[in-house]
Amino acid sequence: MSAPTDHDTRISRRLLTTGVAGGVLFSGLVARLAQLQLLEGQKYQKIADENGVKLELAPPLRGNILDRFGLPLASHRQAGRVSIIREQTPDLEASLREVARHVDLSPQSQARIIQQARQQASFQSTIIKSELSYEDFARMSLLAAEIPGVQVDMASTRSYPRGRDLAHVLGYVAKASGDDLSRLTEDASPEETNLLRKLFRHPDMRTGRSGVERYAEEWLRGEPGFRRLETNAAGRVIRELDSDDLAPTPGKDIGLTIDAELQRAAIDRFGEESGAAVVLDIETGAILAFVSTPAFDPNDFVNGISYEDYNALRENDRSPLYHKAYDGTYPPGSTYKMVVATAALEAGIDPNMRVHCNRYYRFGNRTWHCWKRGGHGSVNMHWAIKGSCDVYFYEIARRVGVEKIAEVSRKFGFGQTWDLGMTGGRSGTVPDDAWKRRTLGEPWYEGETLNYGIGQGYLSTSPLQLALMSARIAARGKLIEPYIIGEGPRPDKPIKGAEPLDPEMMDRMKAGMYGVTSEAGGTAWRAGDLGLGGPRLAGKTGTAQVRRISEEERRTGVLKGDQLDRRLRDHALFVCYAPADDPKYAAAVVVEHGEGGSSAAAPVARDIMATAIRRDSRRAARWQTASVPSIITTKGAP
Amino acid sequence: MARAARASSMRFEDRTLAGTLGALPWGLILMLISMALIGTAALYSSTYTNPAEAGLPARHAVRFMISLALMFVIALVPIKIWLQAAWPAYFITLAMLVGVEMFGVSGGGAQRWLPLGPINVQPSEFMKLALTLALARYYHNNLPNAGGRFFIHLPPLLLIVVPAALIFKQPDFGTTLALFASGGVLIYLAGLYYRVIAAVFVTGLISVWPIYQFVLEDYQRERVDTFLAQLTGQAVNALDDGYQIEQAKIAIGSGGWQGRGFMEGIQAQLDYIPEQHTDFILTVIAEEFGFLGATGLLVLWGIILVWGLVIARTSASLFGRFAAAGCVATVGFFILFNVAMVLGLVPVVGVPLPLVSYGGTVMFTTMACFGIIMSVHLGRDERLGGQGVI
Repeated sequence: MSAPTDHDTRISRRLLTTGVAGGVLFSGLVARLAQLQLLEGQKYQKIADENGVKLELAPPLRGNILDRFGLPLASHRQAGRVSIIREQTPDLEASLREVARHVDLSPQSQARIIQQARQQASFQSTIIKSELSYEDFARMSLLAAEIPGVQVDMASTRSYPRGRDLAHVLGYVAKASGDDLSRLTEDASPEETNLLRKLFRHPDMRTGRSGVERYAEEWLRGEPGFRRLETNAAGRVIRELDSDDLAPTPGKDIGLTIDAELQRAAIDRFGEESGAAVVLDIETGAILAFVSTPAFDPNDFVNGISYEDYNALRENDRSPLYHKAYDGTYPPGSTYKMVVATAALEAGIDPNMRVHCNRYYRFGNRTWHCWKRGGHGSVNMHWAIKGSCDVYFYEIARRVGVEKIAEVSRKFGFGQTWDLGMTGGRSGTVPDDAWKRRTLGEPWYEGETLNYGIGQGYLSTSPLQLALMSARIAARGKLIEPYIIGEGPRPDKPIKGAEPLDPEMMDRMKAGMYGVTSEAGGTAWRAGDLGLGGPRLAGKTGTAQVRRISEEERRTGVLKGDQLDRRLRDHALFVCYAPADDPKYAAAVVVEHGEGGSSAAAPVARDIMATAIRRDSRRAARWQTASVPSIITTKGAP
Repeated sequence: MARAARASSMRFEDRTLAGTLGALPWGLILMLISMALIGTAALYSSTYTNPAEAGLPARHAVRFMISLALMFVIALVPIKIWLQAAWPAYFITLAMLVGVEMFGVSGGGAQRWLPLGPINVQPSEFMKLALTLALARYYHNNLPNAGGRFFIHLPPLLLIVVPAALIFKQPDFGTTLALFASGGVLIYLAGLYYRVIAAVFVTGLISVWPIYQFVLEDYQRERVDTFLAQLTGQAVNALDDGYQIEQAKIAIGSGGWQGRGFMEGIQAQLDYIPEQHTDFILTVIAEEFGFLGATGLLVLWGIILVWGLVIARTSASLFGRFAAAGCVATVGFFILFNVAMVLGLVPVVGVPLPLVSYGGTVMFTTMACFGIIMSVHLGRDERLGGQGVI
């Protein structure tokens, strides 16, 4: 062994210093680790915890709309849906073509889906088709496993289980359009606007477009929540974290006063006819049936209706889009005679005063006609109402004058609208001198007062107003305010024009209406028997002229029924209440182009009323029901 | 003498294969295997959320096993042969570097690969080892007669600078630094005067700014800027280079004392850190095993490196000492620089963490280094003739 050389010791020494230097550097790194992990650890831990969590807006479940006994009118339905995730298929187009072999998918929508799928991140899913039929859903569920990237799942959709029955009352929901958004965010703060815009971009979100759905949008909508999603840096969702504390608040339910079964029976009774019917609970003013037929199916609108289908609805001459009972205004015809008679009584005309009717009434250089061939002979007020004598009403209308008739009309509630808590509502027209000067720039002619006396001319009324009129008569003049929202955002609007009416005068009207259906000489005496053994119906027929009858026709005989184009036929009207001796229900029925009040409208009204009584539709409402999932009951039922 | 009495100190030629294997430093080998296992686990944790990266941990393990076999082969080659191979290896590798410059294949913005038949090789990786061997050979021959003269250190400087310049031009900043670091350590070991070292240090400080301004490429300059910004606590563009450093700090910091637990790291699981499975693998360990885990990893590496230095110290030949020390320096530089980079202490330069980071070349280089170290260990009593006898 040789002695260590000097470079040997030096190298050994320097190896040691190298090791020490390395040790110092390592210690520096450990110190840095300690700084980051021990001193600042909590700060970084907090950042890290928030780093991977993304809050995704979770849409609230829309509130249900129920009928007065808790039957769901608007609720939710789980519908099958097929979608595709781009990154899970090697060939997007091939997968889509495969799906198109099994479900109906146009080439345009295929192109649209491909475009949409390519625009979004590859791990996001694109809906191919929602609202799968049961057959499609079953088939796709089986096939999805074999088509790369394709998934089948269920989504919650707004559903109207009773279809067309309450289309006009409920309205419908649709995806929010730009117009919808500007309307919805009109009074919102910038932050709220931002949130709403985001919310309504969610594929499951819908907004009310008409009816109660639109009016009560905020009540039904609920509060959006959030889902905590753990995402990676690219935004891919790794898993869903517990988000119960951020869960959306479901929308509140609305209980309507409608009896859905009565509504259905009324619609069925109309059959092929188009028209409107309103049934009121006399005691409370609750609307039990609010029929406009034919109607559209709101379910068709939830996922967007095609242009062709919508046009077909628009161009249908029976106007299914139109709420005839609320937005429709008709000349009331003879159903208005109680209003004119009340005006006469208020003007001091003796109800026993007799007018002789020989069918003709001459005024100035013109002749007015009564509907009855040969005339009614000598009639007092009672006989004039039950026989619907036009000549009598020409005479008293002329004596009372336009202003008095208009005044009493307003007391009854004509010429005004009620805010029912749904979109629409027309006030109709109660004409008088001032109205005519304002709108037509002409003074009122006395001859026009004669037409007023039989509910024709400029006068127009809605079926709701007519139903309310009969309810007011039946309730001996008491003020009644109609309403349809039993539980929910009930508009609080005081009655404007209507005033209480004299009970004794109303008794005379009731006697007249009873006569119509139940006494000899009544125009609708066959309608009085409700077929229930005891209770009888009291009512009044009416025929609203759609066109003027010419002198020529008077001579040759008025064309009737099949001889006349449908659109030119008269509207048939009937107003009524029942039971006659203890009124509970009041109704108005309009059968469009139904020709005769007694032949077309009265039988419909009688059957609707019989159903209401048999069902006891006005019995206490209970909106709570177990049949609707996730129902929120609110306090303060009326 | 005590040394001669030890079984393992027999001359190489006298050993059986079993005896040779038995003489290997198995403790060191076990630590290397543990390190690779830690790397595989960390890779598994950082990649399992991403289906596209599912195969990485297994591939890492396979590469390690191949590298381990390579290490054994290198270890069993007598050190005499490495001595003889040093010069040819260096000059062939240098020629290949020139070849890269002339016919190289580009990839990832740099020209590093040389097409040799069916495969592309990366001569810059070979150079780390070849330079170490060449310097060891040089000092083995020249140091005993140098008598402390300064100029004997000039040829080594040339041996470093020529390949370093070629590699810097590719550009591969990390490898350039590695060459200077390991070469520098060897020159230091050879006895360079401290006053010269001080002078070089001062010159280096002075030249920092000119290098920054005139030598660095734009993207390298940007990285340095970002580094300085985050080091001084300024807000860095979270979507840019600074993002990586920032997310790495969040991952490491959130580990705390004990970490979130294996596979529980939020940053690690959610792909927040770019290149996490390669250069930034330490963030996974720091996040999931905390300060204790990260420090443990560093300590383990520290023991491995010190063991390597001890092997260098016990070698009877200058070549063995320099070769082993150079290999320790090469691996040690990677570890120090990688950890410092991940901790935000030095700019982000693509330097992986040996055996832990995913990536083939660095694994082969590292294990080749340990092969040399073990070859030195087995041949520690070989005097290797020439002049380099201690």
